[in-house]
Amino acid sequence: MGNMMEYIKMAFKNITANKGRSFLTMLGIIIGIASVIMVMSVGDGTANAMNSEVADLGTGQINVYCSDDSINAEAWITPEDLQAVRERIEGVDGATPNDGSSGSTVTGKGEFAVQLSGGTEDIQKSMNYNMKRGAYFTGADVEEGNRVCVITDNDAKRLFGSDDVVGMDIEVTINNITGSYRIVGVNQQKENSGFVSYTYEGMPVALEVPYTSFESFGWESDSFYSAVVFANDKASGEEVARDIIHLLETRHQCAGEDYYQIQSFQDMVAELNGMLAIVTTFISCVAAISLIVGGIGVMNIMLVSVTERTREIGIRKSLGAKTSSILMQFLAEAAILTIVGGIIGILLGLLGAAGACSLMSASMGSTIHPGIKASTILGATLFSCGIGVFFGIYPARKAAKLSPIEALRRN
Amino acid sequence: METLIKVLDMCKIYNPGENEVRALDHVSLEINRGEFVAIIGHSGSGKSTLMNMLGCLDVPTSGSYYLNGKDVSMMKDNQLSEIRNQEIGFIFQGFNLIANLNAIENVELPLIYRGIGKRERHRLAEEALKKVGLEKRMGHRPSEMSGGQQQRAAIARAIAAEPPVILADEPTGNLDSASTQEIMEILKGLHRAGRSVILITHDNEIAAQAKRVVRILDGRIVEDYYNSE
Repeated sequence: MGNMMEYIKMAFKNITANKGRSFLTMLGIIIGIASVIMVMSVGDGTANAMNSEVADLGTGQINVYCSDDSINAEAWITPEDLQAVRERIEGVDGATPNDGSSGSTVTGKGEFAVQLSGGTEDIQKSMNYNMKRGAYFTGADVEEGNRVCVITDNDAKRLFGSDDVVGMDIEVTINNITGSYRIVGVNQQKENSGFVSYTYEGMPVALEVPYTSFESFGWESDSFYSAVVFANDKASGEEVARDIIHLLETRHQCAGEDYYQIQSFQDMVAELNGMLAIVTTFISCVAAISLIVGGIGVMNIMLVSVTERTREIGIRKSLGAKTSSILMQFLAEAAILTIVGGIIGILLGLLGAAGACSLMSASMGSTIHPGIKASTILGATLFSCGIGVFFGIYPARKAAKLSPIEALRRN
Repeated sequence: METLIKVLDMCKIYNPGENEVRALDHVSLEINRGEFVAIIGHSGSGKSTLMNMLGCLDVPTSGSYYLNGKDVSMMKDNQLSEIRNQEIGFIFQGFNLIANLNAIENVELPLIYRGIGKRERHRLAEEALKKVGLEKRMGHRPSEMSGGQQQRAAIARAIAAEPPVILADEPTGNLDSASTQEIMEILKGLHRAGRSVILITHDNEIAAQAKRVVRILDGRIVEDYYNSE
């Protein structure tokens, strides 16, 4: 074993003596490793980009829905339920009913459809709110049922040609009843990205209003089909969701009826990531098959090399090379071929991933950086090393077992 | 005189059974340290088999072989490799240099397998190449050397580690008469310097230049005599 360096040197000498062939042998490994690295980097990069965009939506958001049966059981969610959720469940930052209505408005710029989202002041905890002007409506507004609203800067410009609209009124007609909402705040419209769309063509003007304000349009606002709970970063979405269901079922005495369904943002993100991981794994597996094919290529060439160099093996043996020396020399050769091929493959894969990511970024409007993990690179290196040794063993053993007389006799 | 090689009642049988070939048939032979022996016989006489046995490339079917006091007739592959490395310097008819190594790298090969460090290896190889007059060809590959030069490089490889036995198998078989004489002079010089040289040949003229001649025929030693000076 002390002669390992010598065997590695001998192996190098032989590889460089047949440069063209060595390169062709490596090509299979290069392509295999490059594709694995590329697929995994692009996959991880896409997942990272998606996660960061989705995280921007507010990962702590948990949607609670009532099932169709719950209405008969009078199990719809009440403001008192939400108060209890806010106060009793750990990790909850806020809760709001998810009430909505649609109507229309006419301004100097024309007639617009309006989508009203009714909730509490906690709505601002969603989507990492960014107020541009004014302030969000308050708990007092909710309690008193004030007709106040928050509008996005984009919609303000659509309605009035400017986003400097705090203090202005919007006349909204719902169910033939017209009432005016006073604008108290303007929030910044988030831009669409590759994975998340906030706006679309012909989208109605969106107003966020206290849910209690609907009462003046003839609505009851004491029970809701759906609600949104905001959990903070420290809380586990799953635990909070379980607690919410438990609390609602206790309050409405309907344990085991399955009236409430929960959809948390974390679940959705996890589901998306899971799908992406499956796709990445699948493509990686396909690429890994090409690696195995590359390994067989290495074995093939090594077998040819053993046959070609039978006489050399005979000479070495007659000069005192032991079985293990010959084995080591040929194994080192196979390993070097695959390791060098692996390194070239890693570099090409990283380059390819960078190229693919910039292409994808350009076409999707998201910024995707290749997700390069040390574990991926280490794994690929070890894998190519393993392939070299695994597929090198058979030819190397064949070489090492040659009898010196037989080997010397051959030409 | 100290006995270097002692072969007792050695047989080598290929294809045992009905079609068996008795390549060596109860051969006994003793060679002392410092001798210059030619083993002569025509092709098929068994001299190559004897050379394989003496060179520890193969083991006999029966009988025993003591080389430098060690019984090698029962040794396994790896032990034989070690014995070849330490006790024997081979010179082949076809030179058997490795094509992609230059002269000095070829000469270093047995020293690598002996585990000698780089610097010492280089020094020994250089010394051996000087002894055969190839100091100006150390960086040449076999393809860049004449047959005689290649054989001299092979001799340097055989003597670099100073093994007790130099075993030359038809060393001049592929050479013209000038190179042949050159190689013979080197072998004689090695003998004069105290080395034991065993020369396998079919050529009576070559054999006549050795001190002792062992003639082999049909796997048996039929003659064993000393040349007169």
